[in-house]
Amino acid sequence: MKSIRVFLLASILATLTLFNFVAALQGYQSSLLEAEKLFDSQLLQTAKLIANLYVDNTTSNLNYLSTHAYQVWHDDQLLAASNNAQSEAITDRYPGFGYANFGSYRWRTLAYFDPNHDNWIIAAERTDLRFILAESVITKAVLPIVLGIPLVGLLIWLIISRGLKPLRDLSDQLKNKQVNDLTPVETPELKDELSQVVQSINVMIRRLGTTLEREKRFTSDAAHELRTPISALKIQLHNLEEDIPVDNESFAQLQSGVERMQHLIEQLLSLYRSTPDEFSSHFTSVNLYQLAQDVIAEQHLIFEGKNQTLALEGSNNVIEGDAFTLSTLLQNLLSNANKYTPTGGSILVSVDENNNHICLKVEDSGPGIAPSDYGKVLERFQRLNNKSEVIATQGCGLGLTIVQHIADLHHADLSISPSSFASGTAFSILFKKAPNPDEKRI
Amino acid sequence: MFLNSVVLILQEILEAALLISVLLVFMRLRCIRPFWIIAAIAAGSAGAYFFALQMASISEWFDYMGQEAVNASIQLTMLLILATFVAQNPGATHSTSKPQKDLRIIICTLLLVALSLTREGSEVFIYISGVIGHPSHAQPTLTGSGIGAGIGISAGVLIYYGLLGLPTKWIALSGLLLLSLVGGNMTSQATQLLTQADWLPYSKILWDSSDGLPENSILGHLLYALFGYEATPSLLQVFSYIAGMLLIYLCAHLGSRKVSFSTDQKTTDHNASVNR
Repeated sequence: MKSIRVFLLASILATLTLFNFVAALQGYQSSLLEAEKLFDSQLLQTAKLIANLYVDNTTSNLNYLSTHAYQVWHDDQLLAASNNAQSEAITDRYPGFGYANFGSYRWRTLAYFDPNHDNWIIAAERTDLRFILAESVITKAVLPIVLGIPLVGLLIWLIISRGLKPLRDLSDQLKNKQVNDLTPVETPELKDELSQVVQSINVMIRRLGTTLEREKRFTSDAAHELRTPISALKIQLHNLEEDIPVDNESFAQLQSGVERMQHLIEQLLSLYRSTPDEFSSHFTSVNLYQLAQDVIAEQHLIFEGKNQTLALEGSNNVIEGDAFTLSTLLQNLLSNANKYTPTGGSILVSVDENNNHICLKVEDSGPGIAPSDYGKVLERFQRLNNKSEVIATQGCGLGLTIVQHIADLHHADLSISPSSFASGTAFSILFKKAPNPDEKRI
Repeated sequence: MFLNSVVLILQEILEAALLISVLLVFMRLRCIRPFWIIAAIAAGSAGAYFFALQMASISEWFDYMGQEAVNASIQLTMLLILATFVAQNPGATHSTSKPQKDLRIIICTLLLVALSLTREGSEVFIYISGVIGHPSHAQPTLTGSGIGAGIGISAGVLIYYGLLGLPTKWIALSGLLLLSLVGGNMTSQATQLLTQADWLPYSKILWDSSDGLPENSILGHLLYALFGYEATPSLLQVFSYIAGMLLIYLCAHLGSRKVSFSTDQKTTDHNASVNR
């Protein structure tokens, strides 16, 4: 039952129609029986009247209505008859009602014995006309029931709409709630049936708010509590560097481990900041080409360390977005390319316009990813099991998940494809182009 | 006129409403949008109009046995389409079904609705157009037709929601039971028509329940429309009724077995590929 309103209207109207119409049928049959009794009693009165008229001898042969016929018998002698009656007895002379066929019609008959004059009065009435008259009266009474059904349907529709209004209001209120609006739901006209639902929703919102607050506090605490000791550790390691020989393997592993821990914490914090529910920064116009230049300038040392060629192509293209998270996005893509591209390899960053969209693409000349694994690389803590030597670098498997999140926040599409180099992968993010300032004014 | 109109219209509408409501329930089970039904209703109404217009010339076919022959062939065609419909296992949920089966179910539903409306609608059209010519009959006829149509459509709506209100596992089973009764009714009516046309021999009357439940009573007419009730059925009619029901049951059974077989095979293939 997809719509409560349609279900209620159809089932109530069908039930009402069914019972009303069956009752109307029953009423029709009962009314027809009553009409039959009424017509019979009228026929009896007619017979009595004819008996009196004949005795008074006011008329010998009545020019009676064609719908009725009569005969007056004394023993076997026909004393009088209507014009449309036959010469034989219409029915046997036994008192009571019956049926007879003559003159191409079926008749309801009555044999009435007048004890004062020993006469038999036989009166008859056409059954078809009785039936038509009775039916016309009864169907006039039934007709409003049939004609009233559309009106009843309209009334039921209005009543159901009114009854479902609080539910619709609640639904609208929930639909229009902003993602960061955790205020309780309030309905001005709270019905008993809905109060439990609204209470449950408000309890859930309160719990959600508490959970989010706790998560926010944890992140903030984690930032302080974890970053500080790691920074201290790094300083201590730097101091130790002078006392420990350069080729000490354990020291090198310790340094690498601390670097890895710091990276993991930074990535976890970035992932939290870019979760859609918490993303509250206001978008501004961001020149993607300029942003790429800045990020490349910041990170060029890590590429030089591996003797990799890093190139930027394209032109100034502006989108609506958040500069900080977009920098994180590009940093993650470049860091990913740096890790998976062998020493001496190439990385190409491009910012191009394509059909009202701006495409930011980062391509590398690494070993590449099998198309069947494209979906896997975007999963959290997922690192593909590649035996290539370039994998032996630090990373926690969150970088591309963060890229996907930031793309989603900007309503952009992230796609993975083979790169334009002989081997390698290309990550493309298709942003909507920022509207022209002139167009905005219009 | 009034009661005759109620009985005739109710009989025709109820027969179509029962079939359409059960078919709609199965479409709902398969998550198929029912808007196709509107096209089938339009086609069926147009078919009813043209069939009614041609009825005079059709009845002259086959030595004036054309009406019986054509109506019987429509009933038997509908029976075959109904058998094809249930063989697609329409009660299976959408996730376990194939798109080709959905297409076959849609086509069968459209044909059944259109043919049903053509047959029943033409009789309604002939009756109303014949009676309404007499001014004194117009009001009782139209009022009676309105009441008959109202009861028939309401019963259809309540059957639809009644079936959907059942526990999920009973919906398909009850729907198939109703369809097998509809199938038996179709075969029985076709046999009766072919016997009237002297194309099938008369056989002995098996029982006479006219005293307990006369055919011309309101309940008798209702049961005739729903399940093809006859107070004095012949041996051939009873035999064809059971044959029609069995055909629907067997097709439904084969359809459901085919699905469970292919599901088992898929599971086996999947396990084999996992083991590899």
